[in-house]
Amino acid sequence: MAVAVAKRRRVGGGLGSERTREALVGYGFVAVPMAFFLLFFIFPIGYAFYISRYDWQIFKGPFVGWDNYRTLYHDSVFWRHAVRNTLVYTATVVPLQMALGLALAVVVNQAIRFRTFFRAAFYFPSLAASAAVAAIATYILASDGLFNTILDHLGYHHNNAWFAQQSTALPAIIGLNAWTTSGTIMIFYLAALQAIPIDVYEAAAIDGAGAWRTFRKITFPLLKPGHFFVAVVSIIGALQMFDQSFLIGGASGGPNYSTLTTVLYLYNQAIANIKFGYGAAVGVVLFAFIFTVTVIQRLLFGKAEVA
Amino acid sequence: MSTEELPPVPRVAAEELALEGLAQGTAAPTGIPGRERVERIRTVVVYFILFAVALLFAIPFLWSVSTSFRTIADTVAGFSLLPRHWTTSGYHEAFHTFNFGRYALNSAIIAGAVTLSNLVLASIGGYAFARLKFPGREVLFMLVLGTLMIPDQLRLVPIYLMLVNWIPAWVGHLGWHDASFINRNGVILIQLVSATSLFLMRQYFLTIPRDLEEAAKLDAAGYFKTYRKVMLPLAGPALAAVGILMFQGTWNALFWPAVLLQDKSEFTIPIGIAAFHSAYLTMWPPLMAASVIAILPILLIFVVFQRYFVAGVASAGVKG
Repeated sequence: MAVAVAKRRRVGGGLGSERTREALVGYGFVAVPMAFFLLFFIFPIGYAFYISRYDWQIFKGPFVGWDNYRTLYHDSVFWRHAVRNTLVYTATVVPLQMALGLALAVVVNQAIRFRTFFRAAFYFPSLAASAAVAAIATYILASDGLFNTILDHLGYHHNNAWFAQQSTALPAIIGLNAWTTSGTIMIFYLAALQAIPIDVYEAAAIDGAGAWRTFRKITFPLLKPGHFFVAVVSIIGALQMFDQSFLIGGASGGPNYSTLTTVLYLYNQAIANIKFGYGAAVGVVLFAFIFTVTVIQRLLFGKAEVA
Repeated sequence: MSTEELPPVPRVAAEELALEGLAQGTAAPTGIPGRERVERIRTVVVYFILFAVALLFAIPFLWSVSTSFRTIADTVAGFSLLPRHWTTSGYHEAFHTFNFGRYALNSAIIAGAVTLSNLVLASIGGYAFARLKFPGREVLFMLVLGTLMIPDQLRLVPIYLMLVNWIPAWVGHLGWHDASFINRNGVILIQLVSATSLFLMRQYFLTIPRDLEEAAKLDAAGYFKTYRKVMLPLAGPALAAVGILMFQGTWNALFWPAVLLQDKSEFTIPIGIAAFHSAYLTMWPPLMAASVIAILPILLIFVVFQRYFVAGVASAGVKG
């Protein structure tokens, strides 16, 4: 049928009608994705705000204006635990995973044997299901787990499960995620490293610069665009941490809120406690915060690119 | 937000990840007396560290495999590298007692459906955005990319309520009565297409020379036929990247399944692991068996299609 229509176009149509036809086909081809994005991405922005102005629990209740936001402003669990943990997590995990990812990238960017194997081995933890990795971590960090067994052999005695203690649960998650995310960061940095022209290194070698000096004086500064890009992606990702807290600390972010993050708190309010109006308010505030962070980063550092 | 602001797919890294042994890193100075021995020692140290770190990265996975073949008594009997008594009862329990066979099937259904619909919608849409001229095209594409700035937490409540109230009413008008979307249907519906897949397909179609379509035009082929017979066969690498990215992401996903899947019979593997973990805290062998079941398919896909995963990383950068 398409052929028949096309033939008719070639026989009878002028330039105008062909253009119209192309446009109509174009709209047709993007119609389903565009309808999808409007319905499930664009519309929910406004709808979230609308919901947040109602006392909406299982059913839509009365209009309450800014009440949900006022409640959130005075919500000590949100600020003292969820926000605090999320900020501590972000401030710690981002530098850790960036340093680890950069170190891995620099090493596997060298002319070494089994380079493909090493890259794959370092990258894979980022690809494995977070639920499975968290389960394995819980097992290894259990009170009688592999990690404590090794510590025992080294002369440190630690008899508690790392995820079950209020003081060690979040640091353990930070360590876990710095490890799993470093593979992704490594790939980003590899792309950035390969954009550095090789003659820069040749010049450094002629000048007799050592490996560390070359890295510090040449590689690291030349990676500037890469650093910005990786930092932006890492910060935005870290601010939205959910999986490990949900899997390890449960919906309440235990023990005693020590692993509660902002997104987990939102899940808890909206889905577990069925407070849709309040949950929507939390979502709007988190969105405003992440959006502001993104805009500030853009303004400060300009375009973020891999290379 | 414009297209230029997005990170390019690091093709170089993709090739590098797949190709072995091409020397391209820092040039090591050679031919200077005395340097060679230092270099050799350095090389040995570097390899030692590399293998140590690789082993460190692999230990958690190897340890989970080892435990998945143990008896429960074995897991509390002190350290041993390998199981004292090899048994597959961990897998047997995971599959039969704790339903992970069912969960794996559910994960495969959701991941398969989302992957397929992304491939179809993103390739047709990507073709239109790359090749067909229509008023508002750039604005619409910017809108698509803009959706990457909208985090899931903002969408959580609105989408949940839409899936409870509106969508069932709409499909009821279309003749599908009493449909529910707080289940697998909802998980699939809200992931039918992503900006990332659309972006990857469009970028790839932009790199295909126009001559080929001109030839199709002379044959008086319509746009759909050009897409189907000319563009799609050339888009293999992009389709592979999108397919792998979507399958891996959906297979591993936790957030939306945690929100929408409430009936145990519809749980995916990650949700099954979460539920099992909170209910039977120290039954390690079946839990490790379930983790192996969750990881193994992705490991196999990774080993076979390594380089396509890198395109996925680039688009992970697009998120945010």
